[in-house]
Amino acid sequence: MQFKDQISFVQQHIKKNKMRVFMTVLAATMGTAFLIVLASVGFGIHETVREEVLSNRLVTEIQVYTNEMDEEKAEELKKRDHVKAVIFRQHLGTMQQSSVGEFTGDHELIVTDFVEEGKVNFELQEGRLPQKSNEVVVGSHFADNLIDQQDVGEDGEFTTYKGKLIGEQFIYKIGDDKGDLIEDEIPLTIVGVGKKPAKDWDQDRKVYADASIIPELEKIYFSHVDKIDEEHPDAQQLFYGNVNVYADKLENVKAVSAALKDDGYSVYSISEELEQLDVFFLALKAGLVFVGTIAILIASIGIFNTMTMAVTERTREIGVMKAIGADPKLIQRLFLMESAWIGILGTVLAVVISYGVSIVSNYVLPIIVTAALGEEDLGGMNVTFSIIPWQLVVIASTISIGVAMISGWRPARKATKIDVINALRQEL
Amino acid sequence: MISIRNLNHSFKVGKKGKERQVPVLKGLTFDIADGEIVSIVGKSGSGKSTLLHIMAGFLTPESGEIHVQGVQTSSFSEVESAKFRLDHFGFVFQNFQLMPGLTAFENVELPLTLKGISKSERQEKVNDLMQSVGLTDVQDHYPNELSGGQQQRVSIARALVTDPPIIFADEPTGSLDSETEADVLLLIQSLNKTRGITFVIITHDDEVAQTANRVYRMHDGVLTEGGVQHAI
Repeated sequence: MQFKDQISFVQQHIKKNKMRVFMTVLAATMGTAFLIVLASVGFGIHETVREEVLSNRLVTEIQVYTNEMDEEKAEELKKRDHVKAVIFRQHLGTMQQSSVGEFTGDHELIVTDFVEEGKVNFELQEGRLPQKSNEVVVGSHFADNLIDQQDVGEDGEFTTYKGKLIGEQFIYKIGDDKGDLIEDEIPLTIVGVGKKPAKDWDQDRKVYADASIIPELEKIYFSHVDKIDEEHPDAQQLFYGNVNVYADKLENVKAVSAALKDDGYSVYSISEELEQLDVFFLALKAGLVFVGTIAILIASIGIFNTMTMAVTERTREIGVMKAIGADPKLIQRLFLMESAWIGILGTVLAVVISYGVSIVSNYVLPIIVTAALGEEDLGGMNVTFSIIPWQLVVIASTISIGVAMISGWRPARKATKIDVINALRQEL
Repeated sequence: MISIRNLNHSFKVGKKGKERQVPVLKGLTFDIADGEIVSIVGKSGSGKSTLLHIMAGFLTPESGEIHVQGVQTSSFSEVESAKFRLDHFGFVFQNFQLMPGLTAFENVELPLTLKGISKSERQEKVNDLMQSVGLTDVQDHYPNELSGGQQQRVSIARALVTDPPIIFADEPTGSLDSETEADVLLLIQSLNKTRGITFVIITHDDEVAQTANRVYRMHDGVLTEGGVQHAI
């Protein structure tokens, strides 16, 4: 029997029992749509959390922890394969103070390599990068932390610096190992202001300087503090470094991290965090698909029932076909095609409905949730409640059509086992 | 040619654990020549239908051999048997056994569809056949819209459509009035003459049996009487 004839044969039988088939397709549709929508919530939350994690950091960043980092080692790291940039930032391990006229604040100074910073994500909102040892770039919230100490009210209100920053000179002081401010003043000129961080709550008040400032700072510091040597092993050092290595591509983060670990460095990258996150959400999504599958299994009872009824009702017809010479495998295939058709139609409808539900829920749910919370937005988060990736459609379709065919398999087998003689004896 | 040798068959009857074997066919040996009309006549329960079912491959005999056109069919599997039936046999049943959801045309077309023949070829063949059995006017009617005689003609057309060398007819006139019965028997004789098809007619009616070239009489599972040889 030709395939197109098999299809037309199946269609004829379906037409004869439109209502029963419709109800079965409806049950299959509801089960599959439930699975897709349920799992889509897992995909949606996963994406929301991923976006939230990624929005705070560069995905290619690998944080390297070591006590023995210096310029030489940082240079060595730059030469490694798939390394785009190595940012060796040195922080001062002592108290610091900046002041512009009456305004003072405790800004942290960071010594860094602006060439390497520029390769990654260091951008200025105005001005230029430092070219001399006393030129610095300040963070976007630098001025917010400059407070007029003479004008602090009793109720805690204070005035912050509102003047221009570019070209402004300010006095920078550092403390000694006992926490006292050293009187020696270091005049620094602001030549650039860094770009605002992506998040509103993230405030950048730092002062960024080139490595050429180190000798001057060390000179002042060690004129008041003992250097670390055999006589003073517990003396406090001035600079503590941290290194961030940036891979050229996200795919290479793992390889670069592994190479660093092999060389004895302790490393942390967002890809590791994402990996853990992905494992967690994979388990969650698998759980949701499992729960959704139960709905499909319930729908499969309907398919089993419909197909069993179809076989029972058509016993005489099956007997006639077998008597004429129909291959039992053909009869089995015809019934399997019928149950598969129910599964396919149910799945197609379910996919269409699920996408509709997903779109509507992504539009409506944020409105309801924000209204319920009484806030204008969800804490600045871009929440996606439901996402239906093509993989979910493939998984749900496979389960749905697979379950439909398994449900139809037993009735189809029963059809092949029908005894011709008994079938022909059935009353019309 | 159908050649049957020492054919035995029995059925189990009674409750499970207390079954007993009831022999239905007892050592049958006979031949049916090509182009013959053979009738097997007997009372109800004589075993004639069981004989037809075994010859047609619906049942596997307990012992004995059946050869159809030189092929031993008695040891066929279900699938082999189905394939052989489709290629070599046609069937006419007492209650017509037409598919209620198919038109007369589609019912006749069904064996060709099962054989995987193309639609255009099927239509050509079925159109010719419907014309030759006088069913062109009712070819789009469903079985329940046809008279008994018309339904049996459709059934005969379905049996003929694959050009089988042998047609088994199980009480072909059992559901027909005497006038229609005569028509159907004439049609069978005419097809036998014009197409050389072998007909094996199972009947309880002596009158119907006498229209055959050879008559076998079944009694308690034994062919008790040789047939009457008519001129072909």
